[in-house]
Amino acid sequence: MNGSVVKVDSVTKRFAGHTAVEGLSLDVPKGGIFGLLGPNGAGKSTTIRMIMNIITPDEGRISVFDSVAASRDLSERIGFLPEERGLYKKMRVLDHLVFLGEAKGISRASAKTRAVNWLERLGLMDWAQKKVEDLSKGMQQKVQFISALLHDPELLILDEPFSGLDPVNSQVMKDVVVEAARDGRTVLFSTHIMEQAEKMCDHIVIIARGKKLVDGPLAQIKRDFGGRHIALTFTRNSDRATRILSDRTLVASSDDYGASAEVQLAAGADPDRLLKTLVQEDVGLARFEVVEPSLQAIFIAKVGADAASAPANEVHRA
Amino acid sequence: MHKIWAVIRREFIEKVRTRAFILATILGPVFFGVLAIVPGYLMSRDTGIKRVAVVDGTTTDFGSRATTALKAARRGKGAAALPRFEVTRVAAAGRELAVRDSLVKVTGLSDKQAPGFDGLLLVSDSSITTGRVHYLGNNVGSFDDMRMIETEIRPVIQATRLERLGVDPGEVMRSVQGIDLITAKVADGRLTGESGAATFFLAYAMGLILYIALLIYGQQIMGAIVEEKTSRIVEVLASSLTPFQMMLGKVIGVGAVALLQIGIWTGAATVFSTYKDQILTALGATSSGPLPLSLPSMKPELFVVFLIFFTLGFLFFAALYAAVGAMCNTIQDAGQAQMPVMMMVIAGFFSVFALIRDPNGTAARVLSYVPPLAPFVVPMRYSISSLSLFSLVSTILTTILGVLVVVWLAGRIYRVGILMYGKKASFGEVFRWIRAA
Repeated sequence: MNGSVVKVDSVTKRFAGHTAVEGLSLDVPKGGIFGLLGPNGAGKSTTIRMIMNIITPDEGRISVFDSVAASRDLSERIGFLPEERGLYKKMRVLDHLVFLGEAKGISRASAKTRAVNWLERLGLMDWAQKKVEDLSKGMQQKVQFISALLHDPELLILDEPFSGLDPVNSQVMKDVVVEAARDGRTVLFSTHIMEQAEKMCDHIVIIARGKKLVDGPLAQIKRDFGGRHIALTFTRNSDRATRILSDRTLVASSDDYGASAEVQLAAGADPDRLLKTLVQEDVGLARFEVVEPSLQAIFIAKVGADAASAPANEVHRA
Repeated sequence: MHKIWAVIRREFIEKVRTRAFILATILGPVFFGVLAIVPGYLMSRDTGIKRVAVVDGTTTDFGSRATTALKAARRGKGAAALPRFEVTRVAAAGRELAVRDSLVKVTGLSDKQAPGFDGLLLVSDSSITTGRVHYLGNNVGSFDDMRMIETEIRPVIQATRLERLGVDPGEVMRSVQGIDLITAKVADGRLTGESGAATFFLAYAMGLILYIALLIYGQQIMGAIVEEKTSRIVEVLASSLTPFQMMLGKVIGVGAVALLQIGIWTGAATVFSTYKDQILTALGATSSGPLPLSLPSMKPELFVVFLIFFTLGFLFFAALYAAVGAMCNTIQDAGQAQMPVMMMVIAGFFSVFALIRDPNGTAARVLSYVPPLAPFVVPMRYSISSLSLFSLVSTILTTILGVLVVVWLAGRIYRVGILMYGKKASFGEVFRWIRAA
């Protein structure tokens, strides 16, 4: 597409004792779904908060819609779902949505119409007159999700939108996000769940410990990562399989799940040889497929398996 | 502007809908009603006509004079007032104890038995010298009845004593008559027709209303902000609204709730005290006795001055409470951090007590220019003594200035504070926020 909607330019943010984001640059193009990935404590939420102008960067600059004005001056054009969900517990659902719509600058009447439409669509209409505290956590999250979309923003910024949702609700939300992107809106969302990002995102940035590791369109990232990858599923003798996968003349790296694994072949190694060895060792092969590297594999390779679990003291600052 | 309005409306509607608000708003008038109506009602009920037998053991006309005096006692005031006692004189010179005992035996002094008596008043010749009069009855617990009997009998005894000394009781009564200091307030060189006591009451009441509103609603603002922080809704708000819009909307919204509640309360109090007699009559009781609750009339100018200072005072302290709320993460923290603010509120309220005796003294003049105290002090001064237009306007201006400074400071603290989680901010940090924000 053309032009960038969000531009983050060499931004650094320090908190007492550690650097949450260091020299980070992002360029979110117009349209499509942009995934901001990273392990816990990588600085995803800090970055999003800076984009939302909830906190200010120590260094660097951020512009949204080519404007350095505070994001709340552009709040009509931005929908935001913060990582920490929060609603007024004593308010009725419909009143709450109307209020948040008004706070975004749309009129009371149209806020009401839109809120009703959304509640109907997400199957919450029976709860419209109930207090927020009477809703389940998943329902509250849907309500908050609606509040981010209510004013029909051009840019949607969603911080971990699917965390804590059951698969059914997760699916409903995913459909909404995908549809929003299809209508020409830009979606920026953060997650640490790779499978989801892989299926949804057009463009991906991976950050860890406040620094950017990977940046580009998903297809490009996979191409650049290269290597021959093989997805395996075995049904017995997994100890023998593990032994084969640790043979570095065959396998450069593997992501072993016990009953399945994704492996990157060593340079010069032949997939046929791996297949033959596995059959010989009688691991009950159920799947053997030459694949593109999964985002998970790229992520692990780039971030390093140990960094996937960040030091505990950084997690709460995420 | 539309956004602030949305915040104000949300605060107002959500507060007014709470059960606590509805209960307090209804219970207030009920309380005033009880205070205004019940004592009068009970009094007039209790003091239905009482049948009293005067057991006259005297050899002079003292007994019949006492009887006449009791017969003259009336319930309530005015020509239409009904007699209080139904009096029967029983001549019993020299055998008053026997008569007493037989009357007690026959009638039982029960208010259920008719004909009969509710009480016996025993008078004898010695009553005049000793001043001792006996009364037996079923209504000795009625403070009002006993006071009335005493008031009626006392002058009869005094007059009899004076006559024996050869003095004209009428002359004595005239010469010992007490004096009556009739006060009237002069404001701007004009008589206002208000009495001193009413003015004092009004001055206290205005201070009290502001004090209560600040303690209740100031803390509600603080609590609501802490709650917004803990529920993290503040992040959504901060991405849509400026902190100033959030703070101002909250303060004005809650302020409007305070005004509504106080308006309902004072309205109810006014209605009850104005139409007290009508309400009592409607309940089938005659009005009587001194008014237990009476409101002085409030001049429109005073009302305007009070409203101005109420608003300014509320803004001043509400902004401070908002800042305290933004500094804290738990309601317990906030409870401690609000102490300095609360001390100021209390100081303001008690300055009314301290200055009411000398409303135009140096202390009062100086404190009128101290923004946190002026909302308490100036309406009090205005109601008690006249205040020149110049000092009124200049105190309003300094208070407005103070409010602006505080709102500005609080806004900066609020701006940084609402998005700060973790530990409670120290004052050093708050100072840095003010400079940095």
